[in-house]
Amino acid sequence: MIMLRYALFMFISIFCTFSLSAANADFMRSIGKIYVVVGVMLLLFLGIVFYLIQIDRRLTNFENQIKSDE
Amino acid sequence: MIKSGKIWKFTGVGLIVYVILAGMLVPLKTGIESVEPSFGNAGEVLEIEVTGYNSHFKEAGNAVRAWLKWENGKALASKSIIIKDDRKLTLSFSIPGNLPEDKEVQTVSLLIDNPIDGTSVLPSAIFLRATKGNVQSENDKWVTPGNFSKVTGITFPFRNILGETIRNTYFHVPLWFGMMFLFLFAVINSIKYLRNGTPEFDLKAEAFTHTGIFYGIMGLVTGALWAKNTWGAYWSWDIKQNMTVVALLIYAAYFILRASFEDPEKRGRVCAAYSIFAFSTLIPLLYVIPRLTDSLHPGSGGNPAFGSQDLDNTMRMVFYPAVIGWTLFGFWISSLQFRYLRLQKIQEDLD
Repeated sequence: MIMLRYALFMFISIFCTFSLSAANADFMRSIGKIYVVVGVMLLLFLGIVFYLIQIDRRLTNFENQIKSDE
Repeated sequence: MIKSGKIWKFTGVGLIVYVILAGMLVPLKTGIESVEPSFGNAGEVLEIEVTGYNSHFKEAGNAVRAWLKWENGKALASKSIIIKDDRKLTLSFSIPGNLPEDKEVQTVSLLIDNPIDGTSVLPSAIFLRATKGNVQSENDKWVTPGNFSKVTGITFPFRNILGETIRNTYFHVPLWFGMMFLFLFAVINSIKYLRNGTPEFDLKAEAFTHTGIFYGIMGLVTGALWAKNTWGAYWSWDIKQNMTVVALLIYAAYFILRASFEDPEKRGRVCAAYSIFAFSTLIPLLYVIPRLTDSLHPGSGGNPAFGSQDLDNTMRMVFYPAVIGWTLFGFWISSLQFRYLRLQKIQEDLD
């Protein structure tokens, strides 16, 4: 899962460099490219959220285990 | 006060996803990015190169109108407009000998209007030097700019120095709001601990403080990055930046205090008292002192920080959900931290 996300991130970065070489002088200002930035931000944020969900589940399991042991 | 149930966690995450999408994808209103040169003399012809942002000058063609406007309402229409491309214009103005104000150097704003983009303003765009000699009065040159084009559509405001970075408002500022809420709940739990002595409140206070400091550090870092690109340096020794570091250091000492005690009861009581003291320093440090002096931040010299001048109605649509979303997200992180500490404590008690 982590490998897949990392691979996706690398793919997007490589894709960005190819687009740059198309000599678009207004690169940072062309609104079209902002979708890439938004995609990366969402990817990053959702990745962190899934990590937190994982922690949340592990804690819940551990707490339930302790409750059932009592 | 950590609520159980999953809805508030999903709400927080959902709001942040909305903020990322809306905050990044809504376009900026057309604006004027730069004017070159920005000085002129009365009685001469002033020719300026104007760069617009998100503008469509070429598309608008002859419908582009431009004025230099004084604060007292008098304005000069442009003599000629040469459109180079969608974003570049060459304007020329015939500045009359008599300027409307009594000062030696007068500041004028530049207004550009066209039916596709609406009206854009660059305040204090040009400084004009008044002549002292004998010049004929040319009163017929003064016009009142009117009939402004209205465009529909939701846009964020364009500010000359900020540009696209205005979108940072949805990420940098909510971190501070979130930090205040987290520290507030830390102090509430500290007070509860002092009254009850239940160790759970002490752990909750620790968890909230932990996440609060994390939010504070993220706020400083995001602020430094934003500052580099707008104020020119990562750290400007701005009063708000300085006071925030002081506040965070005071809170960091909370953890050093925690580590220096062995007895959990004593630790809890002393740290709870320190937490109350630390929170009470937040108000003067972050909200009182920065408003008293000059600051690069909005809200200084006696003005309310981050008031109606800094937000637009379109921005409010994204900003308020951002504050709620990031705060709920912070509460989720705190709850995870608290549950971890509680399990750790159970394990310690078993040993």
